[in-house]
Amino acid sequence: MTRTEHVALKGTREGLVLYFDPAADFGLLMNELDKLLKNSVQLLQGASVRCYAGNKEYTEDQHIMLATVLEQHQLELAGWLTKEEVYVPGQAKSYATEDRETRLADEGMVEGRCLFVERTLRSGKSVQFEGHVVVLGDVNPGAEIIATGNIVVLGSLRGVAHAGATGERKASVSAYHLAPTQLRIADLVTRAPDEETGGRGPEIARIKDDQLIVEAAGMSGWRGKAR
Amino acid sequence: MGEIIVVTSGKGGVGKTTTSANIGTGLAAAGHKVVLVDTDIGLRNLDVVMGLENRIVYDLVDVTSGNCRLKQALIKDKRFTNLFLLPAAQTKDKSSVSPEQMETLAKELKEEFDFAIIDCPAGIEQGFRNAIAGADRAVVVCTPEVSAVRDADRIIGLLEAAELRNPKLIINRIRPEMVKRGDMMDISDILDILAIELIGVVPEDESIVISTNRGEPAVLDQGSKAGEAYRRITRRIKGEEVALMNLDVPSGLMDKLKKLVGLR
Repeated sequence: MTRTEHVALKGTREGLVLYFDPAADFGLLMNELDKLLKNSVQLLQGASVRCYAGNKEYTEDQHIMLATVLEQHQLELAGWLTKEEVYVPGQAKSYATEDRETRLADEGMVEGRCLFVERTLRSGKSVQFEGHVVVLGDVNPGAEIIATGNIVVLGSLRGVAHAGATGERKASVSAYHLAPTQLRIADLVTRAPDEETGGRGPEIARIKDDQLIVEAAGMSGWRGKAR
Repeated sequence: MGEIIVVTSGKGGVGKTTTSANIGTGLAAAGHKVVLVDTDIGLRNLDVVMGLENRIVYDLVDVTSGNCRLKQALIKDKRFTNLFLLPAAQTKDKSSVSPEQMETLAKELKEEFDFAIIDCPAGIEQGFRNAIAGADRAVVVCTPEVSAVRDADRIIGLLEAAELRNPKLIINRIRPEMVKRGDMMDISDILDILAIELIGVVPEDESIVISTNRGEPAVLDQGSKAGEAYRRITRRIKGEEVALMNLDVPSGLMDKLKKLVGLR
């Protein structure tokens, strides 16, 4: 999650949500929002955002101001969420969803919207998506993928990849040949070592103990057994 | 009905103009009716490389803006009567021609010629968009440098976006002895990234500098290695199956002896 004192931006299963502190002054909120959006390199341009500010109601002028600030950062105000629709951090969720989420997490499973890119991404191409991205091809140097979820490349990843772009630290980046110019997961950034070590096989990058680490993928599968 | 082939690269200085001149001359030497079109308005070179600079009266901009007829602007080559050049304007800039005008011109050229070779300017802006506007096929020139490969990759993406599918690759200025030492990207490194069909590898060759300065395309020089590479490229463009040139560095006496006794 990206946040300032009174404003927070979070990627949810249904898209981006902005949380405002209902008690804070509107001018202050706008200032912080502007700063927050400016600082977020992971900004998903062109995305629509929904807002939540508890029971607080804003005037029409304030609505217009908010929409303008969002527009300046190429975001679209898609509407407001009510208390029932939004997941407020710390608030207990309904039993059904919680139960299901833990079950999936237990088994190492993640679900969500997914984009399949059925081609190679060449230099200059940028793919931004709210969800997971799977590339059936290569990602060449100079190309970038920004996803709020995981990134999987069934080929060589040599460009820039940013998984968990809205702050999801559980996100991962995996590739058949993982050699990105730069790799980002949530708020952590790392770059490829200066010397290329070729032919390591499929690898997966994820955050462990606040560190971005890369390890061999699928070692327990048929590939691992063959070794 | 002729074919329009655009020669492009993204990066400057990789040999687009030399390649255009040699492919065009090679096709003309094989008996085809060919026109070379220089779209590098403001920085024209193709006329110099062809040794035709002093014959320019009208240029590309004169044709597209209707100042003259196409026939008036075409310059006949010194060596081949079936080879023509449509030079770029030197005193204007890229915005004096639009992609729509280039498409109209391309249609006109197709009726007249078997092949039109379009020499594209460096960059991805208006000049590039003009050059590819009427093209049927594209040839991407790349040198074994990371920067050139990066730009070629971008260009291939833009060509695909412009519906110019399956561009062909020419690797230019490769130095076999440097590749052997591991100091230069080799062909497979480049193909790994670009992943398009390779139609030729041209070795670095001093004779290119000489022939460029003289205005005599190297493809006509039977003793030139680069000329031989361009002759093969020309045949491949016509659809013939030709093996890639053997670029192996001449090996030493010991290597030859080992080969003889079957050690390698």
